[in-house]
Amino acid sequence: MERKRDVRRKIVALAACAAAAGVMFGGCSKKPAGSAAAPAAGGPRFAKGTPSEAIVRASAGAGKVGNWGLGNEYEILALLSKYGQDQKFLSQAFDMDGFDDGSIWLASAMTYNELGLVKNSYEGGYKYGDTVGTIDMNDEGVAMLEDNIFCNSAFAKANPNTVKAFLSASMKGWKYACENPDEAAQIVYKYGSSVSSQHQSYMAGEVKKLVQTDTKGQTVTNYGNMDTAAMQQTLDLAKKYVKLSDSAAASKLSSLTLDSIMDASYLADASAGKIGKPEKTSVSIQLKWLPQAQFMGYYVALDKGYYKDAGLTVKIVPGGGDISETTAVYSGQVDFGVTWVSNLIAANAGGMSLLEIAQVYQRSGLVLVYKYAE
Amino acid sequence: MKKIHITNDSVKTVLYPLVFGIILVVLWQTQVLHRLLGADTFTLPLPSRIGSIIADNFGVIMLNVKATVFVALSGLLLGSLFGFILAAIAALSPHWGMGGLTIATAFNAVPIVAVAPIFTNLTKDFSSDPNVRSMFAKTLVVMITCTVSMGINAYRGFTELKPFSLDLMKSYAAGKWTAFFKLRLPNCVPYIFTALRISVPGCVISAMVSEYFAEYIVGVGRQIRESIVLAQYSTAWAYIVVACLVGVGMYVILLFFEHLLLKGRRIK
Repeated sequence: MERKRDVRRKIVALAACAAAAGVMFGGCSKKPAGSAAAPAAGGPRFAKGTPSEAIVRASAGAGKVGNWGLGNEYEILALLSKYGQDQKFLSQAFDMDGFDDGSIWLASAMTYNELGLVKNSYEGGYKYGDTVGTIDMNDEGVAMLEDNIFCNSAFAKANPNTVKAFLSASMKGWKYACENPDEAAQIVYKYGSSVSSQHQSYMAGEVKKLVQTDTKGQTVTNYGNMDTAAMQQTLDLAKKYVKLSDSAAASKLSSLTLDSIMDASYLADASAGKIGKPEKTSVSIQLKWLPQAQFMGYYVALDKGYYKDAGLTVKIVPGGGDISETTAVYSGQVDFGVTWVSNLIAANAGGMSLLEIAQVYQRSGLVLVYKYAE
Repeated sequence: MKKIHITNDSVKTVLYPLVFGIILVVLWQTQVLHRLLGADTFTLPLPSRIGSIIADNFGVIMLNVKATVFVALSGLLLGSLFGFILAAIAALSPHWGMGGLTIATAFNAVPIVAVAPIFTNLTKDFSSDPNVRSMFAKTLVVMITCTVSMGINAYRGFTELKPFSLDLMKSYAAGKWTAFFKLRLPNCVPYIFTALRISVPGCVISAMVSEYFAEYIVGVGRQIRESIVLAQYSTAWAYIVVACLVGVGMYVILLFFEHLLLKGRRIK
């Protein structure tokens, strides 16, 4: 590791041309440090049992808390504020190299994705195993709800049966996926995957927990349920930590209520089987990210023919990069979308009229991960 | 007579684009443009709204502008200097220099989006302050884009001499260095500005793209990205307008200096 750092320093010191040459060769042969036998050193380590407040204070004080930004940062801001820290974080890349090399002490990770990469030893993993600890947003009381299903409120009004049929089939897909996570992972993998099949299986297992457990740790059996208390907490935190420069949007944000962002009636009718003939039979859903088990319910519903049984032809549109699912739905490119509730709130404050029709994830999947002392 | 003619011409060159610009803004504000493009005021906010956002957030916007301009200018300066030196070496000893110039050109083909995150990773040990090391990483990215245009153009300036001028220098028994300073260097000056006319808009663009991948969140480009992902189109447009103003402003300053220094010696 020290050697690697030396090389890095030398490269930096060289002129741009030489540095770029280093990039080309270094870039090709660069392997994750996690592929070494022992976890790489870097950054401080915290003794097991250290209270999360002490870890947050130490890391934030040193300016070493990481998050991806782009609307994923509000829970972190809320946590920093809870412990009286500055609202600052480092922009974290989509890999966990910053955590591994110690430039980020307290890194953001989704339980189903980045945390798996940190802990696990399959290809691409950093092999930390049980030598890392996490701070859970749910335990800290700053949880904001994530993956939901939404559409334009005008679309829902014009196509209520389509919405109900879509929800009914999707929830059937989620139920099957949660009962058979390994099979669901393989189905997702079949439909084009950004990550390995082992990682998909890990992800399916973790996503199942988020879909079946609420922020308080209670089991949820009615899939897609919109827990009013958790939704309200999400809205309250969003009002506090979503900072909008546009004064019109900012004042709209402060006036938003749960009724202006969600409607539970479609899901209620769908679960009761009160579904008429779909008005629009060919629909599409925009995912928030690349095809992965995070969205296994939809892929299972498609693969098992649940959508077809409901009289729908469904196209799943993967996201990724800077695809904005709220804009895609708003502009009518797609009919449904999966986003985080905070993103939907920000979009409605900006002038969209989006409506959440189901809340698939019942608790926050965001944790902050840190290294344990030996 | 001649003087008046030139003034007329310059009035035209300023007036026509200005009138066109004003008409565009009027069409935009009155939403005629929206009807033509099939856009709504959400994805294409009105100029008045964009203006009010810029006014409301002037301090924060200037903070981001400063960060972007600093990176763009320092990258431009270092890159151009490096490119110029490469070109000079190439002109003086083609043996060594041409190879270096060719390699530099090859690096220009590497897209900024590929280079930027790599530099962010490579410069992590540069400073313990994330703002400083991010600035450094971004500057390196800008530097690469500016090196090449200056290298190639300055090399042309050093070597594309008037016919027989080099022979003339030789007939004067001028040495390699005298020929360089008396002939090649003066010949190169207009080419330097040709390079800068490519590099100045380029450095602003690469500075903004490299902000996407930087560890420290600051800059006009980063704000555009954040705002669009959060569906805050009015704010995004405010930063887009500011980005345009920065780019145009820097270009105008360049043209001013070019006019001042070259007085019509500009190469076509």
